[in-house]
Amino acid sequence: MKYNFFTELKFTSAYKEYINAHPAIREAMCLKAQYPDYFDGITEGDLLAGRIQHGLIGFSPDEWGPTAFGYYCLTTEIEKHLKENDYSTEQRTEIEEILEFWSTENTSFKLRSRYTEEMKKYLPSDDWMNQSGIAFPLYRLTGGTPDFSTLLKLGIPGLRDKITKLLESADAESKDPDFYRGLLIALDVFVNVIDFYIDNVKQLLGKETGQSRISDLEKLLNVLEAVKISKPRTFHEALQLFWLYTFLGDVRNYGRMDMYMGDFLASDIDNGIITEEEALRLVQSLWKLMVDRHTVVHNRVIIGGRGRRNEKNADRFAMLALEASRTVLAIEPQLSLRIYKGMNPEVYEKALDVIGEGRTFPILYNDDVNIGSVVKAFEFNKLDAEQYVPYGCGEYIIEHESFGTPSGVINLLKALEVTLHNGIDPMTGKEAGLALGDFNSFKSFGDLWNAYNKQVEHFVRLMAEQEVLEYKVAGETAPFLFMSMLYGECLDSGKGMFSGGIKYLGGTLETYGNTNTSDSLLAIKKLVYESNSVPKGELLQALDSDFEGYELLRKKLLDVPKYGNDNNEADNMVSKVHEHVCTYVREQKDRVGLHSYLVVNINNSANTLMGHSTSASADGRKSCMSMNNGNNPTSGYDKNGVTAMLNSLVKPRTDIHAGAVQNLKFSKNMFREKRDILKSLLQTYFDNGGAQAMITVVDKDDLRSAMKEPEKYQHIFVRVGGFSARFVELARDIQEDILTRTLY
Amino acid sequence: MNGLVYDIHRFSLHDGPGIRTTIFLKGCPLDCLWCHNPEAKSFEPQLSFNSNLCTLCGNCEKSCPNNVHQIIDGKHIINFDLCRTSEECVENCPAGALSIIGYSESVEEIMETVNKDRKYFENSGGGLTISGGEPMAQFDFTFEILKRAKESGIHTAIETCGQSTEQRFMKVLPYVDLFLFDYKETDPENHKNYTGVSNKQILKNLELILENGASVILRCPLIPGFNDNEKHFRGIAGLQKKFPSIKLIEIMAYHNTGRDKAEKIGLVNPLKDLSSVSESEKKMWINSLTRLGCTNVTFG
Ligand code: SF4
Ligand code: SF4
Repeated sequence: MKYNFFTELKFTSAYKEYINAHPAIREAMCLKAQYPDYFDGITEGDLLAGRIQHGLIGFSPDEWGPTAFGYYCLTTEIEKHLKENDYSTEQRTEIEEILEFWSTENTSFKLRSRYTEEMKKYLPSDDWMNQSGIAFPLYRLTGGTPDFSTLLKLGIPGLRDKITKLLESADAESKDPDFYRGLLIALDVFVNVIDFYIDNVKQLLGKETGQSRISDLEKLLNVLEAVKISKPRTFHEALQLFWLYTFLGDVRNYGRMDMYMGDFLASDIDNGIITEEEALRLVQSLWKLMVDRHTVVHNRVIIGGRGRRNEKNADRFAMLALEASRTVLAIEPQLSLRIYKGMNPEVYEKALDVIGEGRTFPILYNDDVNIGSVVKAFEFNKLDAEQYVPYGCGEYIIEHESFGTPSGVINLLKALEVTLHNGIDPMTGKEAGLALGDFNSFKSFGDLWNAYNKQVEHFVRLMAEQEVLEYKVAGETAPFLFMSMLYGECLDSGKGMFSGGIKYLGGTLETYGNTNTSDSLLAIKKLVYESNSVPKGELLQALDSDFEGYELLRKKLLDVPKYGNDNNEADNMVSKVHEHVCTYVREQKDRVGLHSYLVVNINNSANTLMGHSTSASADGRKSCMSMNNGNNPTSGYDKNGVTAMLNSLVKPRTDIHAGAVQNLKFSKNMFREKRDILKSLLQTYFDNGGAQAMITVVDKDDLRSAMKEPEKYQHIFVRVGGFSARFVELARDIQEDILTRTLY
Repeated sequence: MNGLVYDIHRFSLHDGPGIRTTIFLKGCPLDCLWCHNPEAKSFEPQLSFNSNLCTLCGNCEKSCPNNVHQIIDGKHIINFDLCRTSEECVENCPAGALSIIGYSESVEEIMETVNKDRKYFENSGGGLTISGGEPMAQFDFTFEILKRAKESGIHTAIETCGQSTEQRFMKVLPYVDLFLFDYKETDPENHKNYTGVSNKQILKNLELILENGASVILRCPLIPGFNDNEKHFRGIAGLQKKFPSIKLIEIMAYHNTGRDKAEKIGLVNPLKDLSSVSESEKKMWINSLTRLGCTNVTFG
């Protein structure tokens, strides 16, 4: 992001000028002020136009910093910028006035100021990354996946016609004409942006001397000029229109790209308009642009799956996308392949090739489990459910029909910790949750279980209320024009997405520490309540002192069965904890008035960040260590081999939440030389109900890490000269020897 | 019925085809110089100590009723002979440095674990392998597991040194889909010196099961300076010539990965200084064996 004094000022003036105007008009005028200014020029090698450096004040549905969504202002960054740069006194005063203005006018401030007393008390902080607490709200409207098919079918002129007609009949049908007026202005902004890039390309062409680059730029110029005035006719034009739109709507997840790009690709190739190689170059360029977008947890591209109207053509794009991910060595896009019985085996083989090269993509989603789960969890019919797409870290929505931003995080392990300390957070010494009695007063495990449930439920209720409030404030603030023009029933009803324009407005709550919580509860159940071998007071002391002086107690805790080993007792506890939170969350929808409200058990760095502020836990985890990731066992706690781990993974229900993720790690050797075994392993996992898999291919680096942190790498078995051993149990020099040899 | 088990490996890929669950039984009638699983030799549970993990806290010394442990001058000295495997020390060791190798498990428990991966076996062409130690030495237990597995449609394999009675081999034969049969040394005298027993009975058993249609992979541990000689190679080739039904010859080249295992259980490794076989040596072996007419030779 960069600071652009002129544009920020212009943006603020536009907002002020239209402050009392219709929200659609105000938003449109603000978009006009910030775009194309926040766009960045084309960079060497780009075959598509579209880069961005958003400003420190602006408008977007998604977040541009912690709590920066809607109308946002990154005050701290601006102040920092002011300190480091020369500005006249006059300018400084002007900037200070702007900051003063936005301090009460930004959307998250408006949202927070409408929190109830209870919300304020129990959700005092928004800084989930650094502060300790059970639950935190998130401020963003993320994960929306608009109707790209329609965008590409109509293009800008087609959309303009459609909206103009709707505007003409608006009064007669008592729909809101200003909504449509706002949309038309938004389309003007779209054209402005294209003009910006046309100029940009022309300038570059004036300076460029390399013949091949000149030819690329000339092609790009033609493409830009074409999409400005007509709907896209070629693959290149489709990619270009799509890409610019994603910035305007700040859409960071791209849905079923194979479906909406497949026909363009197939027709261009079949008609000799483009070669396979040229098509690949375009997709590679798009992939690189996605990387440079630095959205970190977004950039989802979905390929494969049931319910594609043009399966053959879509698969051609899927193959191309896989090849692009194989050749562009980057951590994004998060290419995700939906697999199903009867799919094109070529696509699946190719996917395994790409994963086997250590790309960690595509992420695999099992339609044969997920479609049924989506039907149940969201109460969609099967046809709608077939259009599910994972976005961000792994939440599902129905493409351009439903929306479900994760608007909060809950740390289940912290909830247990606070419950064990009668409402106090031992990290801060402050009240952080309900005081439900001290540990001693829980006479049976059932008492503790009930108290933990109450604690979690209390925060779930608040988070559900917060989600609804967020939508309410968002809906009052703006129609979010670019997304709304391609979402749900917005166009027909004349309403923005959060003002009644979509039928399926849902929400999600990210849960963390699920496995640690379950393993901890089981350890307490067995050692404190069943065998009476650990007194309550001693356990608390051990936890509070991070096991210093309680090493033996920690060993006992570690010896209690853990999730990830196909041990029924441990796995059942995970299922129970999972089912409790998922069911309770799901029940909130009717109370607060959402189409759905569901748990997501996903993967990002929150398990680590929130782990930093979570004390030692009864599963033997030390204070401040990472918590488990997604639906995975805690690292190093799975010791029975991969089939046992996979058997555990499929036990928690998948039809009561909006997505869960799991990481699997294999050796390169496995992919290269034991492909048949690997395929049967994955097939069995998916047959057994495996919903999803993120596959990392382990290489020598993992062995090196295993030598440094053996406790985390218990699961690596090595095979040398006729016998198997756990790598971490071997003598140092032998480990080193193996490092130079192959794994397994 | 219970047996003495010392480990169960799920997702084992090296003891027969496909994805397998391998049960390691404790106790072996042979005493090979090069044994890479010394903890599997004894028919009794035994104490194991991993000095890398020990923090010298002294808990074991205090808790052991039999004076097995002593910490003297920063050194942990263990008198393994006195141990009654009562486990007090294990329970009180905060570092996880102590453990008892070998535990009793019932056929039912084993089958429950095995059945958990049934679908993996079916999809990969895998199954169950009983290894050891020597599975034929806990015969009734082994037989019962094999029978149950086979009857419920699970592919079965055993890894055996071949030392048992002919009756027993004939009895398990219908329940074993694949024998991973060790062939350690051709010369009977040498065999006795290296393993403690002659190979006479072993060969008889091998021939018996082959004549009766068993499916066999011959596993040949090759130990430099012991059995990597022309005579033994000829023996291997001769066997395969006589029994073309031997599907595969798996050379298990000596590796010193198990070097420190003996020490952990209070034993001395007689080959402690022998280093692993080099790739070039392995190539030479393969060449010699093929020259002598062996086919289907691989490294296990
Ligand atoms: S109890 Fe464990 S850590 Fe302590 S001295 Fe004995 S073996 Fe070592
Ligand atoms: S197992 Fe029992 S007898 Fe053996 S060393 Fe430990 S405490 Fe002593």
